[in-house]
Amino acid sequence: RVSISMTEIRAGFTAIKANIVSICQAPGGLGEPLEPLWSQQLHSSDRCCITYQLFTFYVDKVFKHCRTEDSFVNRKISSIANSFLSTRRKLGQCREQNNCLCGEESTEKFKQILANYEGLNVTSAAMKSLGELDILLDWMEKSR
Amino acid sequence: DALLPAPQSISILSTNMKHFLTWSPVIVQGETVRYSVEFQGEYEREYANGSWIPISECSLTTATVCNLTEDISAPVAYKLRVRAELGATRSQWGTTKGFFNRAMTSLTPPVLRAMADGHHLLVELADMGPSLQFRVLYWRKGQESRVQQKVVKEVSSVVHLDTMEAGAEYCVKAQTHVQAINRSSSFSPTQCVRAQGDTSVWLV
Repeated sequence: RVSISMTEIRAGFTAIKANIVSICQAPGGLGEPLEPLWSQQLHSSDRCCITYQLFTFYVDKVFKHCRTEDSFVNRKISSIANSFLSTRRKLGQCREQNNCLCGEESTEKFKQILANYEGLNVTSAAMKSLGELDILLDWMEKSR
Repeated sequence: DALLPAPQSISILSTNMKHFLTWSPVIVQGETVRYSVEFQGEYEREYANGSWIPISECSLTTATVCNLTEDISAPVAYKLRVRAELGATRSQWGTTKGFFNRAMTSLTPPVLRAMADGHHLLVELADMGPSLQFRVLYWRKGQESRVQQKVVKEVSSVVHLDTMEAGAEYCVKAQTHVQAINRSSSFSPTQCVRAQGDTSVWLV
């Protein structure tokens, strides 16, 4: 069982949400990269693996493209990114110990997310995904 | 830049989850030297090309201390650096030796005051910041095997612990606890108070 301190991540995100949303509303409105997953009720067996993949997605692909002009926003993004990194490490240990595999449906959905993401301008896609962070946190808490 | 020496004696003072960077001043006769501080978490080292993030409150500051609390906010290893600036001249960066993780913070016992309000056992705890909780232990003197506990997450003015038996003496002690790092301080000294209505009074 991995305890994920959502409180700190959520507090960091709440502090900069307005800034992120305004950045994301740039012209050329984008679809929500992670949309495919939100409608899905996660099977408990999938939870460990999908959550690990999502955290890896954010750590590997999203945060590094989220540098802004605003020092305060950059500092909060750093705080969130470092919290994600620490949490992903714990999830990785859980994943190895429990050898948890992703179900077919979840794997398919995740591929769809990556395809969505890769198809967009990298900075816009990163900020858009960052803007969905609270939805991700809600979705994870709902799937507990 | 080599004319301006880098700040020395750089260290982090961390108590009760409040973290401060301090350094020795760089002295240039007749001049006001300023300093800028930056931090780097594990994410920045591993995934963002070793980038550093400036702390705006500690950019071009004349102080030789910087509050890091808001930025050291994840359970990873951080590095800090500071440089001196005088006009357009900048020193080399002075960087902390080793890494700092917030789990290294030192925790002090809470400041508490036990009170008897008639038959009510109360305790007053000094507020020590949002990340800290308190574990309060209380028992009736002489019944040390029947210790009770109350976890106080948010410090309001006074906390009601128990209703006491008339004339009995009750004792209280407490420790600080931080959930984010799963650590506790040592206990505060024990304080005992007596409930109103001492049964040993003889009415003549």
